[in-house]
Amino acid sequence: MNDNGADGGILLNCRGVTKSYSGTTVLDKVDFSIKRGEVHALVGENGAGKSTLVKLITGVTNRDSGEITFDGKTVPLEHSRKLSQELGIAVIYQELSLIPGMTVAQNIFLTKEPLLGKTRLIDSKKMNRMAQALIEKYEFPLKATDYIDRISIAQRQLVEILKALSGHASLMIMDEPSSSLTKTEVEMLFRIIHTLKAEGISVLYISHRMEEVYALSDRVTVLRDGKLVSVLEKEQISPAEIIRLMIGHKLEETALHHQLPRIESGVVLEVQGLTSVGKFEDVSFQLHEGEVLGIGGLVGSGRTELVRALYGIDPCDAGSITYLGKPFTPSVRTSIAAGIGFIPEERRLQGILATQSITRNIGIPNLDLLAPRGVVHLKAEQEYSLKGIKLLNVKPPNPDQLVGNLSGGNQQKVVLAKWLVRELKLIFIDEPTVGIDIGAKEEIYDHVRKLAGMGVSVILVSSDLPELTRLSDRVIVLRKGKVFHEFKECMLTSEMILRAASGITEGINEN
Amino acid sequence: MKIKPLTQDIRLLLVLVPLMAVLSILSPRFLTLDNLTNVVWSVCLIGILASGAIYPRITGGIDLSLGSMAALSGIVVDMFMNRFGFHWILAIALTLLIGALIGLFNGFIVAKIKVPAFVVTMAAKTYLYGVGLVVSQGAMLAILKPKPFIMIGTGRFLGLPIPIYIMFALALSSQFILKRSAFGRKVMAVGANEVAAKLSGVDPDRIRLAAYTISGVTSAIGGVVLASLTQQVFAAAASGVELDVMTALVIGGTSPIGGRGSVLGGLIGAIMVAFIVNGLNLMNVPASFHPIVTGSVIIIALLLNEGYLSPKKGGLSSARR
Repeated sequence: MNDNGADGGILLNCRGVTKSYSGTTVLDKVDFSIKRGEVHALVGENGAGKSTLVKLITGVTNRDSGEITFDGKTVPLEHSRKLSQELGIAVIYQELSLIPGMTVAQNIFLTKEPLLGKTRLIDSKKMNRMAQALIEKYEFPLKATDYIDRISIAQRQLVEILKALSGHASLMIMDEPSSSLTKTEVEMLFRIIHTLKAEGISVLYISHRMEEVYALSDRVTVLRDGKLVSVLEKEQISPAEIIRLMIGHKLEETALHHQLPRIESGVVLEVQGLTSVGKFEDVSFQLHEGEVLGIGGLVGSGRTELVRALYGIDPCDAGSITYLGKPFTPSVRTSIAAGIGFIPEERRLQGILATQSITRNIGIPNLDLLAPRGVVHLKAEQEYSLKGIKLLNVKPPNPDQLVGNLSGGNQQKVVLAKWLVRELKLIFIDEPTVGIDIGAKEEIYDHVRKLAGMGVSVILVSSDLPELTRLSDRVIVLRKGKVFHEFKECMLTSEMILRAASGITEGINEN
Repeated sequence: MKIKPLTQDIRLLLVLVPLMAVLSILSPRFLTLDNLTNVVWSVCLIGILASGAIYPRITGGIDLSLGSMAALSGIVVDMFMNRFGFHWILAIALTLLIGALIGLFNGFIVAKIKVPAFVVTMAAKTYLYGVGLVVSQGAMLAILKPKPFIMIGTGRFLGLPIPIYIMFALALSSQFILKRSAFGRKVMAVGANEVAAKLSGVDPDRIRLAAYTISGVTSAIGGVVLASLTQQVFAAAASGVELDVMTALVIGGTSPIGGRGSVLGGLIGAIMVAFIVNGLNLMNVPASFHPIVTGSVIIIALLLNEGYLSPKKGGLSSARR
């Protein structure tokens, strides 16, 4: 249709794209366009239609109606994954799609390996050289001959990007690329996105992290309930505005400064000189009744290891724990029996039973109550499940729904629900809102505060600084396995936590 | 109002009943009490073994030592009764205890030393067969006494063979344990996500130990019933039955990757295969064709159960996500 000169720099253009699944319209006449060499963010709550739109663009599913043109060519209604790759559309998957037992080079050139002369044999030397050249061109910290299962998640993402570049992609779709990266790795990713942009490659960036969208994007498209809400130009982009458009009603301004209160309630948990060699060292703190104690620090500072040890998953080498005034040697079973709960950091891998129903998921830590004589009381199990669903507003509210089929936010609600239906005294919560939409996030925040209000003590580990600042009554920051600083009864900002986590002593003591 | 989706077991019955109807039209001899009794009788060993073998399966493992274990149990129970002169009840009790210990040992290697169950129980299959050879001195031994022992396999109660009662009793108890007990919930949880189960207070190692122990006990029960029924014992008596058991479980909707399963489904699966073989016999189809038919049935059952044929339901692929 259009030739390259007359398209106004538009690479991808969708007009009136509509898709419905079994009668439910998930995308309703959406217009969407990406310019050449721009970073375009696609935002919306879970269920807004982001992933459906991406699936239509990449040919994973076919649209019902509407037009899509890419690079001046009309994309037929019968789209396919293969066609989208031929057109130059690449996806950097959230759940990575590399083969662990193969090298970087083998993965980059999978199915397009250089061959030895006219044979069908692979020219490994040439392939490694080509991969290394590509790596050096973009200055990635990689080696062509590294095996995928020996490199970090961030490096694997780089391999995915190289794989796309080697296929001459002109549009790269990144779905939550930063969700499993550390701060420095995210910075590296940002630099790479700028490099791609400078080469004229367009990036479609899907993220729940507003600060990233704000920092990166040239334009932002906001979807809500399957409809296009707005397209924001660079100068219009602000986190508050995006959130307002996504949610559809104005959230009350969350204070960037948070005053930490004075805690006068009794001590529930006291930790003295707790050490686990190579993980954390000489950690001491007290936790009060109804208090949210935040644990800050960079990834790898020993936060997760500390809460795992306190819950009784991993053993300790030295130190003592006093719980409710008595010496306590935790194991998962004694912890649960003593009214302690645990929300692990990776809900898919550690939190949910994906192939089982909401009821079974909620039931599993509560079998002591549901089956006191070994036989499960089905009515009680159902009641617990319905109670949990209602309490946390799980959608859909169907107790027989398999948890694997729920959205991320609702999966996390189920993980929370299985503890909240119990009588709790203390709960450890590790990274509760990674990769979940803002609506569900707010609901989870409400529940954490509500728990504290009911007298439950909470230990919250989070890399999300506003989250930590906002929810905590007190914050201890770990650095290299040791307590670096404790913030209490002061005005707290995200920046102060970050300074402490980075080992900076100035600017963290202002009261 | 929401309509609950049909459970796996009911869907299987929806296949079984028309199958029986077709077979009864094709062969008038099919739908006679004698014929039906014989068919169900023929799957007793599979049904008994499946009642216990399902536990390792659901945890994501497998017990391939069933057949050798059953044959060895027959040899051992005969040894206790007829060589050592123990009372038959004591002999059976000791045999079941040995089954439990061997199962526990399998479970120990799987759970604590983390050797894949496939390898552990494959090895057990081989060495248990060897022990059977040694104890029986490589011979096929006939059991002619004591009478009450022979009655276990050959007797009838209310017109039906006693092994059928044993099979249904075990299958129903096992189904109850799986669906209604805290232990059953934990077995399923370990199969679905071991880490999540552990963080919710389940001890996966203990669950595995128990799973393989149960499988050892039901194998021993199967061996005792088989010995009593056939009145002869030898090391290869139940050779290959483990594959029939796994087939029955797969047809019955027990997931090949764990986390889900039903004993009753397995039982219906076993009976279904037996009906098909029986129907082929009644229609005078040569025996050499039977494996082709049963093999095809397994594939079809797996396709239907795991939802490969209905992309929206996801099945195996969604379970792996």
